[in-house]
Amino acid sequence: MSSLLKDVNLLGDNIPWLHDFRQQGRLVFADKGIPNAKVEAWKYTKPNMFLNSDFAWVNSENKTGYKPELPFDCYKICFVNGIFAPELSDFPPETEIMPLIEAIMLHPEVRERIGKLANSEQHNFAALNAAYLNEGIYIHIAEGVKINKPVCLICHTESGGILLMNNLRNLIVLEKNAQAEIIEYYNYSGEQKSCYFNNIVNEIYLGEQAKLEHYKVQDEAFKAIHLAINSIEVKKSASYKSFCLQKGADLARNESLINLEESCAQAEVNAVYAMNGWATLDITTDIRHLAAETFSQQLVKGVVGGQAKGIFQGKIHIAPNAVKTKGYQQHRALLLSDEAEVDVKPELEIFADDVQCTHGSACGQLDAEQLFYMKSRGLDEDIAKKMLIDAYLQEVIAKVDDEKVIDWIKLVLKLPEEN
Amino acid sequence: MTTPLLEIEDLYGGVAGKEIIKGFNLTINEGEVHAIMGPNGAGKSTLSNILCGKPEYYVSSGKITFKGKDLLKMSVEERAREGLFLSMQKPVEIPGVSITPFLKHALNSIRTYRGEKEMDTVEFVKLLREEGRKLNLGSDMLKRSINVGFSGGEAKRLETLQMAILRPDLAILDEADSGVDIDAMRIIGEGVNACRTDKTGLLVITHYQRLLNYIVPDYVHVYAGGKIVKTGNKDLAEELERTGYSEFVKEQA
Repeated sequence: MSSLLKDVNLLGDNIPWLHDFRQQGRLVFADKGIPNAKVEAWKYTKPNMFLNSDFAWVNSENKTGYKPELPFDCYKICFVNGIFAPELSDFPPETEIMPLIEAIMLHPEVRERIGKLANSEQHNFAALNAAYLNEGIYIHIAEGVKINKPVCLICHTESGGILLMNNLRNLIVLEKNAQAEIIEYYNYSGEQKSCYFNNIVNEIYLGEQAKLEHYKVQDEAFKAIHLAINSIEVKKSASYKSFCLQKGADLARNESLINLEESCAQAEVNAVYAMNGWATLDITTDIRHLAAETFSQQLVKGVVGGQAKGIFQGKIHIAPNAVKTKGYQQHRALLLSDEAEVDVKPELEIFADDVQCTHGSACGQLDAEQLFYMKSRGLDEDIAKKMLIDAYLQEVIAKVDDEKVIDWIKLVLKLPEEN
Repeated sequence: MTTPLLEIEDLYGGVAGKEIIKGFNLTINEGEVHAIMGPNGAGKSTLSNILCGKPEYYVSSGKITFKGKDLLKMSVEERAREGLFLSMQKPVEIPGVSITPFLKHALNSIRTYRGEKEMDTVEFVKLLREEGRKLNLGSDMLKRSINVGFSGGEAKRLETLQMAILRPDLAILDEADSGVDIDAMRIIGEGVNACRTDKTGLLVITHYQRLLNYIVPDYVHVYAGGKIVKTGNKDLAEELERTGYSEFVKEQA
């Protein structure tokens, strides 16, 4: 049995469904445990090298004094050390938003959506997350409703030397024609080297013609572990658009598992990973085109220095009936040092005719001619490099529709200003 | 006698293990314009690249002194901050890095190095627009990425604009006239003259005499076989235009 499974007393365990759901997660994770390099999906990332420590779930009140601050106007839903902080949160009025556990108790119909997309049997860490199902948010946006401001899920950790494990599970449902912009922001205070483990599961359902922009900024502490599964179901003519910045953490993985279920469903996945030191940052995608005329596009760029390691695993699956489908994937990485490493695994599974599907990947270094040119005008090497990296990443960051969010992403990345 | 701006003494050097410069000597004093003319492949650009410290170029022996300091001990950016500028023969495209913030950083790096106050954005943009106008580079151009989609003439005018902004003590114009039409050549020539003071030195590297109608040299040097083989005044440039370089190439062969 993995040391990550502890006996804990969780709220609502007297509800049979909750008890069984947790128990099933517990059994699966006890059986499968932390994947090692022999598991194909984890062959580069090797979480077993990082998760030896004795992480534990701690039910503590928010005593950190954290106040969420973002440079743009948004609704804030705050979690501090993995626990929902209602006093730091404000909800959009026209939306049904509540802690997931409350939704499970009050609205039995949400139960069938939980664990369906991020299945415990298929995903070890979804199983671990299920075993501790307690914290997370339920967002339900009714038919035709458009939320007027971004909804920001802020997960703040101040572990204070404790090997905290936070299992968050969010369920986001956009009904037909609903629209929203949802931002996830992971940050920390206290020791840069604090070590904790955030294990996130997002299950997202997009009804017909619904439109979701889903942006994420992962800026965890240097020694943190951050694993996230985003499972999205996209119905007819609905669109899912995402951007993920992976910046912090010692080990981080962001998985986007997208089912384009019905015709004309669309998904766009954009990501940037940028790190130095010894970090391992992983972007994994699995986009399944299950119906005709579906569309997907992926653009992932990485900047890797020090002895850090970047990983991109991108899969496009086109089912036999998914004719006239388009699936595009591009990955680029800049290696800033001799010891930096990037591992790339593109996979295309095409079972239909009459489709367009492309992928490409390239790794390189900063252009010596460009660097010389800039230095020959008096620029510091560091500034010249930063400007070139900024230019390199700009293409992906510009995919974000919300300009205020673009500015914020640049701020987090500490890119030099435009002027 | 004041210290010369640039003194090159018995220089040997090259690129990729091939020695191209072989016993090169040149002294440029404040306010002087020197032209170096020579056939294709003689290594004129090797000289300018060595002067600016381009990494793959090497110096095997000899001495280069810039304003009394050992140039070869300086990094690329230090040379620029000391007041050396190279208008490049083939300026590189830098997609995504726009001209305005780049040049502002460049100017302020130089000002900071010299202990001067940094220029703020408002003041800088005003200066850039003013200088841009003289070189027929509108404010739309100045928002674009460096050299991306620029014609030959536009790229060379942008090089001249950078010289106008950075105000070097010594500017090397490496074939500022290649890929440039007659009108652009005039604009470049006038632009270069406009940012000269009586102390600015110029080293004009060219195949043709035409640019020298606008930037009139005090000395013309014929460069062949890795060194200067003949020195004269501006009449020598006209003579070369008529006779070509074959005489000097043969001599070397």
